[in-house]
Amino acid sequence: MDRAALRERLEAVVGASGVIADPTDLLVYEYDASDEAIAGRHRPDFVVLPESTAQVAEVVRLAREYGLPVTPRGAGTGLAGGAIAARGGIMVVMTRMNRIIEINERDRYAIVEPGVINLELSNTTTPRGYFFAPDPSSQRACTIGGNVANNSGGPHCLKYGVTSNHILGLEVVLPSGEVIWTGGPAPESPGFDLTGALVGSEGTLGIVTKVMVRLTRNPEAVSVLLAPFPTIDTASNAVSSIVAAGVLPAALEMMDQLSIQAVEAAFHAGYPTDAGAVLLVEIDGLQEAVAESSNAIADICRQHDAMEVRVAESAEEREALWFARKAAFGAMGRLTPNYYLQDATVPRTKLPETLAFVGELSREYRLRIANVFHAGDGNLHPLILFDRYEKGAIERVLNAGTDLLQYCVERGGTVSGEHGIGLEKKDYLTLIFSPDDLAAMAGLKRSFDPLEYFNPEKVFPTSFSCGEVAAIKESGVPVAGGLGLEDVV
Amino acid sequence: MQNLDALPAEIARRDPQDYAVDGVVPAVALAPTTVEEVSACLAAANDAGLGVIPWGGGSHMGLGNLPASYDVALDLRALDGVAHHEPDDLTISVRAGCTIAELDRHLAEHGQVLPVDVARPESATIGGVVAAGLAGPRRFGYGSLRDLLIGITVVLPDGRIAKGGGMVVKNVSGFDMMRLYYGSLGSLAVITQVNMKVIPRPRAQRSVVARFPTLTAAVEAAEAVRTSQLVPTAIVVLDEGATRRAELPDARWSLCLRCEAPPVAVVRQAERIAAAVRNGAEAAEIVENDETTGLWQRIALALDAAPAADTIGVRVGAAPSQLSVVSEAAANELAALDLATELTLDLGSGLCYVRAMGEPAAMRRAWEELAQLGLHATLLTAPHGIKSDTDVFGRKPAGFETMRALKAEFDPRGTLNRGRFIGHL
Repeated sequence: MDRAALRERLEAVVGASGVIADPTDLLVYEYDASDEAIAGRHRPDFVVLPESTAQVAEVVRLAREYGLPVTPRGAGTGLAGGAIAARGGIMVVMTRMNRIIEINERDRYAIVEPGVINLELSNTTTPRGYFFAPDPSSQRACTIGGNVANNSGGPHCLKYGVTSNHILGLEVVLPSGEVIWTGGPAPESPGFDLTGALVGSEGTLGIVTKVMVRLTRNPEAVSVLLAPFPTIDTASNAVSSIVAAGVLPAALEMMDQLSIQAVEAAFHAGYPTDAGAVLLVEIDGLQEAVAESSNAIADICRQHDAMEVRVAESAEEREALWFARKAAFGAMGRLTPNYYLQDATVPRTKLPETLAFVGELSREYRLRIANVFHAGDGNLHPLILFDRYEKGAIERVLNAGTDLLQYCVERGGTVSGEHGIGLEKKDYLTLIFSPDDLAAMAGLKRSFDPLEYFNPEKVFPTSFSCGEVAAIKESGVPVAGGLGLEDVV
Repeated sequence: MQNLDALPAEIARRDPQDYAVDGVVPAVALAPTTVEEVSACLAAANDAGLGVIPWGGGSHMGLGNLPASYDVALDLRALDGVAHHEPDDLTISVRAGCTIAELDRHLAEHGQVLPVDVARPESATIGGVVAAGLAGPRRFGYGSLRDLLIGITVVLPDGRIAKGGGMVVKNVSGFDMMRLYYGSLGSLAVITQVNMKVIPRPRAQRSVVARFPTLTAAVEAAEAVRTSQLVPTAIVVLDEGATRRAELPDARWSLCLRCEAPPVAVVRQAERIAAAVRNGAEAAEIVENDETTGLWQRIALALDAAPAADTIGVRVGAAPSQLSVVSEAAANELAALDLATELTLDLGSGLCYVRAMGEPAAMRRAWEELAQLGLHATLLTAPHGIKSDTDVFGRKPAGFETMRALKAEFDPRGTLNRGRFIGHL
């Protein structure tokens, strides 16, 4: 069987316009939003753009027949290399499956295809009184399918929880080729929680083809506070105090001076450029509760030397503040040719010392580091600024990133809060998990994908990947090789 | 019975008579005190081909199919207490044997709470509650315990100790093992420690209780609140029997809503909710702060999955908008069978809990009928005679083959809860 024949069979499933096989056209699929210096470039043999569940299932069956790896992909906005075809094979890009199939306000759910853009969903449901709570900063581009794969976060996860809390059910094409629905509009479907296992599995267990998401009622009242602080230290102490005081905001975000400067240069949203750091706090809920909590939070900010506490008066003002926050990563182009965005979580009481450590790293490695992050969750996002063409820069960046992860883990934190493991972080998992911990996770993987051909090389540390190859050989399944695909990549 | 000799001799033993499951008494009851001892017990039992059933306080032991074989009871209550609590982080790590009541008393000292509803908090252990995976009406306001888990430690059937998650509130490092083990009835691994998010203890609470002549009227009132921007943390409708069980004034149907928030807001909200439900109600009143906890504790008895000699408990799932139709059908079936009933509709989430008491033949018939209703139905507890020739987890879901693969992968020798989980896995 040759490459041309496989291409023909794929085209028979998804049509000629649904198969990309030309090397120049494949170029864009060699990357995702992770930095090339970290995740590398990997060319898939074929990119396939299905338009229906049946087509996805048929493509999976062909991949299985040919012994080719399958890599699911949404908009490619992932930051950990999760949507890169590490071993070539067939990349299944879900962006053509982008319909909102049903919105059911009474039962508070929507059924959408995985290629629907996150923000489009909320833009559709908000006028009807409901929203989809997970709101990653990439929400203007990222897909719901990608949110499911990565168990994405976002500022509002502080109150509403991460993606997994908002997924009621999934239609999924399993590595066996079988199509099943998990979960549903009523909770507690009997049996193992397959929905829960699939969310956050980074495309290693199946391809999601429909998503039943929970819709949350729009709050009666919303208040947004902006509090500038003289230093990052005073701001992070205020965060710890807010959490400890038992008032739970909907979102609690921090930006340091470098980030404020980038954002102001790009968007002029009204952030004070002389502040060492700002907190952006959103409180929502019943009118009376919002008033009570806003006052409490403003008081705490003042006790921690806030330079002022400003309340966004109108919806437009709130929007402007949030837009600038969510576009902060993009604004970094004002400061630097390249940046490496780290993602780690620490217990919230450890924020002040961890941010101080980030400052130390910046000095030690002679790298500028901007901080824009979900402070209320303890979820750090240091942006390490660098120039790829400066000799030794990448090495310094990577070393600083590793030092930071080690520091976070030593303080009870973890190596990824919301961006995922993918290719980028897989070897860091051994910082937090023992071989037995990982073996249990591998058991979950094998239960879904005994041939281990879905998104190979991801999540598990490199040593485990070797185990995966061995398992494929043992089970006598053909491995890509007979196809002469090595010539293609 | 010689293979029992393989079990570690140094582990404390208990009287096996106290650990019967569906009438089956094990040969041995072990009470390890550390995770290492749990590991030693399991490894030995697994090697010897023995069937093991993990135990907490026994308050969920009515849930599960008849055991295919049962040699060893593993009592985890000696793994007790809070392992680590960082109040200012709003996170806690608790050993499996810690009871819900003990945990609540500990958290109360720090002004915090784990917002779960458990039928028997004095005996139910956190490990048992996670394994059983039954979440009550407060999931409407706070999500279920499933969504509050941030880390877990288990012992796999071969004795290996495996962790998932961690002690931070946002974490995508590695697979989500917490959700895999939650609700798995201890059929994949034995849970020894769980880490959770907790929340500030509400500084005030109120309940609104209203009486209605018909289910339709009660559900309409509930729907008006559920689709509004009011934020009750629980919405339930109780039939006559469940109303009596909750020690509320007699009513054909009672609607109960719970409000938990800062003090000023909670008072105002209770008034607004009472005004919203008064239309069509025979009476509506606000239950004050100190009585609210007790009321909801009695309502949580609907979730009871303790072994029962004369009662069946069934949970039927339906989309919230369909719940009243399904419940009406259930009520009609039960009335025709001459059974005393208690119906509790968790309208916030779409679960109807049915308890029925009467003749064994009528109870068996009731389960057969109820098992067909809604999107799914589970027999939470029943006299063991009623559990023969049925799957207490009801209809097989679409992903059953993957579930079978999970069981085979994690517990290839069928050591844990042999035959007790869905599809007699």
